[in-house]
Amino acid sequence: MLGGSYSFVEDSFSRFPSQSNIYGLCEAGEQQLLAATLKGKVVCFRYQELQQKVRPVAKEVQFTYIPVDAEIVSIDAFNKSSPKRGLVVGITFIKDSGDKATPFLNIYCDYEPGSEFNLESIAQSCLNLELQFTPFQLYHTEVQCPDGGSDTVFLLSGHDQRIHLYKENVSLHQFEEQPVERLFPELQQLPSNVLWLDMLSVAGGRRLSAFGCQNGCVGLALVNQNGPEVLQSWRVQFDSPISTVLLFRLSCRTIEPSGERSEEIEGYNLLITSTVEMAVVYRDVQNHGLSWSTCLSGSDQSDTVLCALVIDLDFNGQKEVLLGTYGQELLCYKFQPSGRERDGEFQLQWRQSFKSPLLSIIYLDLTGDGLRELAVLTLRGLHILQHSLTCTADLVLNRLAQKVLSLTASSELSKTEETNFPAQIQDGTTQTP
Amino acid sequence: MRSLNFVHRVSLDFSGTMFPHAICLGDADNDSLNELIVGDTSGKLLVYKNDDSKPWITRTCVGMLTCVAVGDVCNKGKNLVVAVGAEGWFHLFDLTAANASKADSSSQHEFLSPDDQRPFFTQHIPANTKVILISDIDGDGRCELVVGYTDRVVRAFRWEEPSDSSEGGSGQLVLLKKWLLEGQVDSLSVNPGPEGLPELMVSQPGCGYAILLCTWTQQDSTDSEEDAPATPGSEGPSRDVVLHLTTGRIHNKNVSTHLIGSISKGSKEESSKCGLFALCTLDGTLKLMDSSEQLLWSVQVDHQLFALQKLDVTGDGREEVVACAWDGQTYIIDHNRTVVRFQFDENVNAFCAGQYTCKEGKNSPCLVYVSFNQKIYIYWKVELERMESTNLLRVLEEKPEFKSHLKALGVDAEDSAAVRELVANVLYQDAQT
Repeated sequence: MLGGSYSFVEDSFSRFPSQSNIYGLCEAGEQQLLAATLKGKVVCFRYQELQQKVRPVAKEVQFTYIPVDAEIVSIDAFNKSSPKRGLVVGITFIKDSGDKATPFLNIYCDYEPGSEFNLESIAQSCLNLELQFTPFQLYHTEVQCPDGGSDTVFLLSGHDQRIHLYKENVSLHQFEEQPVERLFPELQQLPSNVLWLDMLSVAGGRRLSAFGCQNGCVGLALVNQNGPEVLQSWRVQFDSPISTVLLFRLSCRTIEPSGERSEEIEGYNLLITSTVEMAVVYRDVQNHGLSWSTCLSGSDQSDTVLCALVIDLDFNGQKEVLLGTYGQELLCYKFQPSGRERDGEFQLQWRQSFKSPLLSIIYLDLTGDGLRELAVLTLRGLHILQHSLTCTADLVLNRLAQKVLSLTASSELSKTEETNFPAQIQDGTTQTP
Repeated sequence: MRSLNFVHRVSLDFSGTMFPHAICLGDADNDSLNELIVGDTSGKLLVYKNDDSKPWITRTCVGMLTCVAVGDVCNKGKNLVVAVGAEGWFHLFDLTAANASKADSSSQHEFLSPDDQRPFFTQHIPANTKVILISDIDGDGRCELVVGYTDRVVRAFRWEEPSDSSEGGSGQLVLLKKWLLEGQVDSLSVNPGPEGLPELMVSQPGCGYAILLCTWTQQDSTDSEEDAPATPGSEGPSRDVVLHLTTGRIHNKNVSTHLIGSISKGSKEESSKCGLFALCTLDGTLKLMDSSEQLLWSVQVDHQLFALQKLDVTGDGREEVVACAWDGQTYIIDHNRTVVRFQFDENVNAFCAGQYTCKEGKNSPCLVYVSFNQKIYIYWKVELERMESTNLLRVLEEKPEFKSHLKALGVDAEDSAAVRELVANVLYQDAQT
């Protein structure tokens, strides 16, 4: 596993009746995925425990108010920010009844106490909004409200070169469109249609937001959430439409093995994939803006990169970059630091072929065991890739043994102050930040 | 039903047309690594090795090849390749030398004299062959050749050499016995009977099977019976053919049926003398039974099964039943009736499963599909860690040290949420977020 080889085992594959697209997969609550297919079908995937057996189940969910001639464009779901509870699912589709195609946004959520997370009943309570534009990506993010609380909102990009904001009106118990510039001043006067949007809240009540456009323009802004006001913004122009933008940090936590001060790879990075060019990572964007870039060499070799994900695949605290391509390949890049100036490059670790083009990837714990699975949406269906359980079990046992060791060591050291004892339960090799 | 996608495959060029039984996997050149042997309707015998898309060896036979096999048919401790044509020409090839000469010559192509390309033995046996089997059918430790015919006849032959001849080549096939059956014979197999002795089984239409008795072990003279014309309805066929019809949902008494015996049960201690065998029908019935006629399971599928094989995909010594349908749907079923499905995306001309040396220089379980598009596809990475979906906690619970670690860390093993959180913490250092 540490050799950087592919360590996934396919656990299940669900074939879909029609194809999906890059906006067609989302996480819905814990341990559940929703995948939308073109011909109006939404499939819910999860693992079910039945008669002492774990079974993958892909079941169609009948979302109401999606007509038979509808073609689904995008789907997204989120859990409401506390203290509110409940799952919200948004689906955009185009109803083509022959004479004129009409786009819609359906927002599903249930206010009935007890069924806020029940997908079946959520699917029956719908808010139907007719759109004046062709929808693209449906995205959600958490915002700080002026009254101090936080709220999760939908952001929908459209072919009218705008991004639309849908926010819940608490008193009316329903979602409504609100002017985007009030909460997202960085998302006004866009250069082109936005194909992909990503946001990340950073320290100090700030937010990084990035968008990639159809004309190849990528915008990045650092925004103070209180206000909100744009502190800094950057633009960069590519030669082809942008398929994904992704903000990420490389390390989960600074690791100092055996006391030796390890390289700090901190700061936020921005991964940009475009349809023709190589994927690029802009490093430490908060300090360098869009000036310090590293290419992911070879990422243009298997057709367009359609989806990207940055996760820690080998459990070493260092994240890897995964790219899914139309050329039916999943590519894994690892950052290799080289000596001076925190420099380094992304090197291809492995590539894995699939039977059809990759559209979307998500890493989440579907089986409910603490270990996450990689869900890969391809043109034909949904693959669930599980880490090799035998190897991972050995790793867990190893780390638990270390933990037990360090625990006994520290408890012997601090026998006198036994009151502090539970606070010291932590991994022997790592330090809390 | 769990469904999977295998992706690691090599494609071999095959321009001919073939009969479904003219394909097998076996060690043709006695190097302990398996090759793929295919015979086509123009009489060409092709032997493929490793992941080379071109045949390693091509031989020409007389007539349309209907069946090929690899085995020690002459009982000399050496595998030979057998190819039988519809017109009744039996060909024997010794490819051991080919391996050596191939290794010597640096050239990729064969420059053997026409003599070397000829079979080292040919004999004319009755025509209309359909399926062959090389195996010990009477328990004498020596292999016999069994041939099934399109006219519901099965004949057994033995290779015999005159005792005075010192060199090989002077031997020939001698007919041991002829059986006449009521229905078409689609497969031949050997299965250990209740006493542990091998029994020759043939499939009969309507999910039935018949056990053919090797009467020559009881009586010395075999010739007398053979010369007598088999009168229909006479006691002859009933005395040495024991027909078994299995019960269950058989819609069509004439439906084509396949059979495979001697399915390995794995560990020695639990294996009784009874052998396991499986049956499948074109209308989608699959059954696993043992030789005491006990039904272990029965599965009904809605695909037309036309080929039945056995293959140990989990590496635990127990062989799974592999059935393939015309449309490419493939079922892998273990002894506990756990099903894994795989959809091969083309119609299948012929199918076989077994050990083959494809990429890594050693035998590995493979699925071989002959398409209608002049290609043979070998899926060479079909090994599974397990047949059933499971999760990490179940794997960990089987390890005793896991419980002791949990105890030492003060985590209640019954509290699955806490255990899950601990595992997530140990694996992902950003799991707190």
